Amino acid sequence: MTDHELDVRPLLLNGGEPFGAIMAAVNQLQAGQRLKLLVTFKPEPLFNVMAAKGYTHEATPLDNGDWMVIFAPGDGGSPAVVSKADAPETWPDPAHYLDCSELDPPEPMVRILAMLETMSEGEVLFALLGREPLFLFPELQARGHAWAGDFDEAGEAYRLMIRAGAKS
Amino acid sequence: MLGASLSRWTMSYFAAALACLIGAEALMAAGFGFPTVALAAPETLLLVHLTTIGWLSLLMAGALLQFVPVLVARPLQWPDLSAPALLLILAGLAALLSGFASMAGIISAPLEVLPVGGLLLMLGFGAVIATLGRTMWQARPLTLPAKFVVAGLAALTGTVALGETFALTISGLAGGEEVLSLWTHGVPLHALLGLGGWMTLSAMGVSYRLFAMFMLAPDAEHFSTRLVLYAGIASLLVVAAATPFAMMATAGLPAMLLVAGVSGLIALALYGRDIVALYRQRKRRVIELNAQAAIGGFAALGATVLLLVGLLVAGQLSSHIGALTYLFVFGWLTGLGLSKLYKIIAFMTWLECFAPVMGKRQTPRVQDLVDEPHAAPWFGAYYAAVGFGTLTLLVDLPIAFQLFVGVQLFATLAIVRHFYRTRGLLNVPLELRGSTALPHLFRPQSIIRSPS
Repeated sequence: MTDHELDVRPLLLNGGEPFGAIMAAVNQLQAGQRLKLLVTFKPEPLFNVMAAKGYTHEATPLDNGDWMVIFAPGDGGSPAVVSKADAPETWPDPAHYLDCSELDPPEPMVRILAMLETMSEGEVLFALLGREPLFLFPELQARGHAWAGDFDEAGEAYRLMIRAGAKS
Repeated sequence: MLGASLSRWTMSYFAAALACLIGAEALMAAGFGFPTVALAAPETLLLVHLTTIGWLSLLMAGALLQFVPVLVARPLQWPDLSAPALLLILAGLAALLSGFASMAGIISAPLEVLPVGGLLLMLGFGAVIATLGRTMWQARPLTLPAKFVVAGLAALTGTVALGETFALTISGLAGGEEVLSLWTHGVPLHALLGLGGWMTLSAMGVSYRLFAMFMLAPDAEHFSTRLVLYAGIASLLVVAAATPFAMMATAGLPAMLLVAGVSGLIALALYGRDIVALYRQRKRRVIELNAQAAIGGFAALGATVLLLVGLLVAGQLSSHIGALTYLFVFGWLTGLGLSKLYKIIAFMTWLECFAPVMGKRQTPRVQDLVDEPHAAPWFGAYYAAVGFGTLTLLVDLPIAFQLFVGVQLFATLAIVRHFYRTRGLLNVPLELRGSTALPHLFRPQSIIRSPS
C-alpha cells in the first residue's frame, strides 16, 4: 500500500495552522496505511496525539532543515487506552477544532466555553489562540474540564487541548 | 497552571481613587492651592498628594493587583494583603492631608501626623509591594513588561522613603544640616521618582501588554522596548544617586538632574515610537474608545516632553514647573488612567457577571456593557480642558485656569457616570442581562468561584 503523503510546508510558510489538515488526512487513512508528513519543524506535540491514536513515528531531518515524519500504525491497531482527565497523553484525538487566534479577548473564551457545552464527557477540543487564555483557566476548573496547553516554537500561538468533563 | 482570577479588591481601589480625583479637581476648580498660592505652599502639597497618592497610586496599585498575575501568568500571592493595604494607604493619606491642612492653618493638628501618615503609607505600599513582588518573584524569569513594574515598584519604595524623611523633618522629629538640606533640595527627586519612576514606568509596562492584548498587536519583545526600560532605570538610578548631593547641597545636583532628564527623555521618545508601532501593527482595524482616548494621553505625554525641552532652552523651567506638572499628571497619567479604566471596568464586570453562565445561555459582549458614542465626547472635553488649563497656567491667567478645571471636573464626572453605568450593567439590553445578579459597585465579589 502506498503511503499517504501530506505536505503542510506551504501552509506553514503562509502562516497557517496545519493541525486540522493533518487530522483530516489521518482520518482518511486506510487500515494499515502510513502517513508521510512533510513539515518545516519537528512536530513534537503531534507525536503524542498520534501515539494516542496508536501510530508510531519516525522523524527524519531533510537537508534544507525541513522534516519528514512517517506515522505508521502500531502492532495492535488502536491501543486500548483509557482516557484519563489528568493524563493528556491518553486523551482521544480532538473531535473539535477552534481557531481563535484572530479574536480579541474575551471572544476566544466565549467560543471555547460555548463549544464545550455541546461536547460530551471525554471528548477533546483543540483550540488555537493568540495568547495564553489566563481568565479561561479558572472557569475550566470550575466546570470540571481538564486542559493542557503550550506556546508554539515561535511563541506566537498558544495551543490548547481541553478534555470535556462531566456535565454539571 | 491556574491562570488569573479577578482581583477581589481592585474595584474598591478604583472607587477610592476616583473619589480622590474628583476631590482634587473640585479643590482646584475652587481655587485651592496652586496657582492661587505658591507651588511649595501646604495647600498645594495637600492637592498634590491627594492626586498622586489618592488618585494615581491607588489606581495603579488596584490595576497592578489585577494585571500583574496576567503579566506573569501566575495567581496573585498573599491576596489577603490587598484589603489591609488599601485601608493603610487611605488612613496614611488622611493623616498626611490633615498634616498639610494644619500647616495651612485650615485645621489644627499636631505636625506629627505627617510622619505618622508617612509610616502608614509605608506599611500600605509595603503590603502592595510584598504581594506583587512575591507574585513576580515566583514567575522568574520575568517578561519585559513585568520588569517595568519591578522598576516602578523600586521607584515607589524610594519615593515613600524620601517622603517620610521630609515628613520627619517638617514635624521636627528629625534634624541636622543634611536632613534639612535634603528637604530644601530633594523635593524634585521625590517628585521624579514618584511621577517618573513609579507611575510612568508601571504605566508603560502595563500599557505594552494591555495594548497588544486589546488591539491584537504582536507583543513580541522588541529591542527598543528593552532600551526604554534601561534608559528609564538609568534615569532613576541617577536620581537616586543624586540624594547625597541634595543632602550636601553641593553643586552637582542640577547637573545630575539634567543627566536623569536626558536619559528619561530618551526613554520617553523610544516609548512613543513603540506605542506608534503597536497601533500600526494591530490586526484589529477599528479600535475601541479606550484605545482612542488613550491617544490623548500619549499626545499629552509628547506635549509635556516638548514643553519641557522648550522651557529648558528658554531657561524658564523653574517659573513654569507647575504648568508642566499639571499637563503631565492630568494629561498623560490621568488621561491614560481614565481611558484604560473604561475598558478594565467593563472587562472585569463582564467576567464577574457572565463568566459562570458563558456558553450555557446567551451572554452580552463586553462592548454591550459600554456606551461609546455617549462617552467619547467627554474624553474629548476632558483633554481639551486640560490642554487649555495648561495654556492658562503658562500665560498666568488663574481665573481662566479655574474655569477650565471646572470643565475638566465636569467631564471627569461624566466619565465616572459612564463607569457607574457599566458597573451596574445599565447599558446592557434587558433580554441579554436576564436574571444576572448585579455586582456591587465597589465592594469585592462576595463569592470566589469554586469547582461546581
